[in-house]
Amino acid sequence: MATMESTPGPGMRLYVAVWLGLLLIVGAEVALTYARLPTGTLLAALLALALVEAGLGLMYFMHLRYEHRALFWSLIPALIFVFIMMNQFWTDAHRLRSLHQ
Amino acid sequence: MTESDMSVALGHGGIIEDSPFGIQSKKLVMWLFIVADAATFGALLFGYGYLRVGSPNWIRPFGFLPTILNGMVMTVVLLTSSLTMLAAVRAAQAGGGRRRECVRWLAVTAILGIVFAALHLREWFNLFAEGWSPSTNPMGGSVLFGGTFFGITGLHLLHVICGVVAILVVAIAFRRGRLDAGHVETTGLYWHFVDLVWMFVFPLVYLMNAR
Repeated sequence: MATMESTPGPGMRLYVAVWLGLLLIVGAEVALTYARLPTGTLLAALLALALVEAGLGLMYFMHLRYEHRALFWSLIPALIFVFIMMNQFWTDAHRLRSLHQ
Repeated sequence: MTESDMSVALGHGGIIEDSPFGIQSKKLVMWLFIVADAATFGALLFGYGYLRVGSPNWIRPFGFLPTILNGMVMTVVLLTSSLTMLAAVRAAQAGGGRRRECVRWLAVTAILGIVFAALHLREWFNLFAEGWSPSTNPMGGSVLFGGTFFGITGLHLLHVICGVVAILVVAIAFRRGRLDAGHVETTGLYWHFVDLVWMFVFPLVYLMNAR
């Protein structure tokens, strides 16, 4: 029978390490912004860093790493699927742009 | 004692089954809310991307001073509030004499949330003073910037304000012994989610619009 008690998570040391890592990533994002990268490259880099931040937040701050795996597999793939499906309208955004040019 | 054990003890055997995820129902409900809310913010950010890609005259209005620096400070404040929330959850789970410590950490988290909201509102009023609004663009070019910027950051700000209210209510009730550590943990989940959303709003809405 599954227990409903809260799973003990990591100690504050690990939380502080993750917090410092997140701060470093934010600093890296700002540095990249002013590195004069092409817009597409900057967007890809910022999105990749934001996904790393989200992963750290989900796994450690939100404890998903320490919960039943069933919780992760029930929630996250469905959400990723939704986000993938939202990518369908980019072609229409490009069509809209070409209409205005 | 599990929820199904409790239901049996109360004479409601067979009505409530154990969660297949091994967590309290309030925590599961919060996770379901978070997934739904993540899809909402995702749709808003994708909508912003759609309008931006579809607008050839999109402008980048934000200078490093004051907007990007202000955004960095807001990000640090919000990230730090997540850390103080984690300290509150740990103190709540430890129980016993650490109840007061939990309430103190919750108070610090709420204060940081208020600081974030204050910085955000100050930035908004500065933009209003410059002539920005959801439907006007004083720099020329697409007026859609204001609509997307105030829409996305406004919804996030609403989440922060609701979170601060929830944290204060939970802190007071926890101090009086009306709520348990599970309630603090569930509130913490919401607060971390608000933080997590900002991890996408800051780079996509602020940094991608930096001059």
